Amino acid sequence: MRLLDHDEPIDPEVAASLDAIDAVLAGEPVDARHAELAEIALLLSCDRPVAAPEFAASMDEQVERRFAPAPGPEALPAARRQRKRSGFWQAGGALAAAVALIVAIVVVAGGHSGSSMSSGSYSSLAAPATGASGAAGANTRSAASPSGASGASKAAPAEIPPTASTSASSVAPALAPPTTGRKVVQSAQLSLSAAPNRVDDVAQQVYDTVGALNGIVESSTVTQTGGPGGYAQFQLSVPSASLGLAMTRLSSLNYAQVVSRTDSSQDITDTYNAAQRALADARALRTSLLKQLANATTTEQINSLNAQIHDAEASISSDQATLNRLNHQVSFSQLALEVNARSVPAPVSHGSGGFGIGHALHVAGRVLTVAAAVSLIALAALVPIALLAALVWWVGSALRRRRREQALDAA
Amino acid sequence: MDHPLVRSEGVTETLTAPPSAPSSWERFESLYRSSRDDVYAYVMTLLRDPSAAEDVTALAFERAYRRRRTFDRRRGEERAWLFGIARNAALDELRRRRRVAALVTEPSDEVLADDDDEAEVALRRTALQAALAQLPAREREIVALKFHAGLSNAELARVLGISESNAGTLLYRTMEKLRKACNATA
Repeated sequence: MRLLDHDEPIDPEVAASLDAIDAVLAGEPVDARHAELAEIALLLSCDRPVAAPEFAASMDEQVERRFAPAPGPEALPAARRQRKRSGFWQAGGALAAAVALIVAIVVVAGGHSGSSMSSGSYSSLAAPATGASGAAGANTRSAASPSGASGASKAAPAEIPPTASTSASSVAPALAPPTTGRKVVQSAQLSLSAAPNRVDDVAQQVYDTVGALNGIVESSTVTQTGGPGGYAQFQLSVPSASLGLAMTRLSSLNYAQVVSRTDSSQDITDTYNAAQRALADARALRTSLLKQLANATTTEQINSLNAQIHDAEASISSDQATLNRLNHQVSFSQLALEVNARSVPAPVSHGSGGFGIGHALHVAGRVLTVAAAVSLIALAALVPIALLAALVWWVGSALRRRRREQALDAA
Repeated sequence: MDHPLVRSEGVTETLTAPPSAPSSWERFESLYRSSRDDVYAYVMTLLRDPSAAEDVTALAFERAYRRRRTFDRRRGEERAWLFGIARNAALDELRRRRRVAALVTEPSDEVLADDDDEAEVALRRTALQAALAQLPAREREIVALKFHAGLSNAELARVLGISESNAGTLLYRTMEKLRKACNATA
């Protein structure tokens, strides 16, 4: 029989019969023309199936313990199925939420790591060491733009995006030009960036590092404005043997990121040898002149030789000073370092930096921002999942309803 | 014909109204007390298998208990809501077993043992049971909801998801079928 799926006015005869049925079920008298219908209604009512007392007692017991699992094997299989099904839906919901959260975290982490990776990449290209050829030359290496030009040159510092945290492992190893038997002057330029409120900290670390390496701070200027205008400039002189170590340490200072780095070298062997020869010649000349002075007999000769000896000694002094200067240039490398404040606050780095209220607020803000981003992305991932789940639920419900009706028709 | 109506024997309904609004548990317990036998009778008529009817009845009440807080009175009475749950559980059982159709309704022991009934009444009851057994399950369900579960036409309509007038019309047609079948037997 097909269910009536539309409302229609009820027939008066039908209404009267229904009233008669209701009346007889309520124990009221009915019209004689409905006696037959009333009798059937009463018979049907009398023939209602009655539950077994054992079942009624069992049901009472279940209700009494509020359908908690029975201690024994009395739990109904259907009830167990119901619990299993509800557990399935709960697990499904939890799984969907977990998937959304994972998607959000992956998206956030992916975006973060992407910028970090791009900013953290730091490659250095070494220029050919022309100084090793024997002729006086220069070798300049820039972190971003190598320059192979001969002669003393100054590489333009190339901008490197600031890293989230610069560690020693991410710093390119310092150049070590071949110096065997050669006199090589090395120099370097390093440009760092730091948070405006960290310029002082970085400057102090520079002092400490240079002092630990027995270097010299020839000049320094530190200006901290608290804003992006803060900067620090250093002219350092460090033992050449420690230049590589100094560059490594200075490139991995806390709260600072390497912006650019330039390594330069200049072979001065010929200049040094020439100065040595000139000194030796001057000394030989003075020795010769002293001998001539010893054999001089006339006042005129003596005066002339004394003048020449004076000139030779002046030349010796000059040549000695040149040699000393060259030796110092070889032994101590010049290092120009600058630290500029940047507008983006630096992340917390390793080390023993202070942790104040401001920093805590900053970190809390970051945490809240990231949490909001994660929540937003999770929501964005969850909405389609929820819509899909609602669609599946709706289709499932319709199918289940249809199958139930089919089962009733087939029974 | 003055057969007494049989309704949920052995249970009592709470008649005293509590001072405050009853909790969901109290409402459920009251619903259980007033409807347990009715639900069983309805499910039994539909499934025609006492064991399955007991399982389904228990499952229906457990489902109702678990969902008792989601019941919205604006969408109908609690009994109609409960019988909707019982109906779904029974139909799920029908789907699962698919063997209800093969079952043949047997006259109940109560009828067979009722020696006091007059012979004519007994005959008519037997004829009526046979006619009921011949009805399609959908019509048998209407009989069960109306006469075994004691639902009003409005509640019946609510359970079946149709309008009250349609429910009344269906009930009338079913009753006419039964009447004609009984008369044909006589």
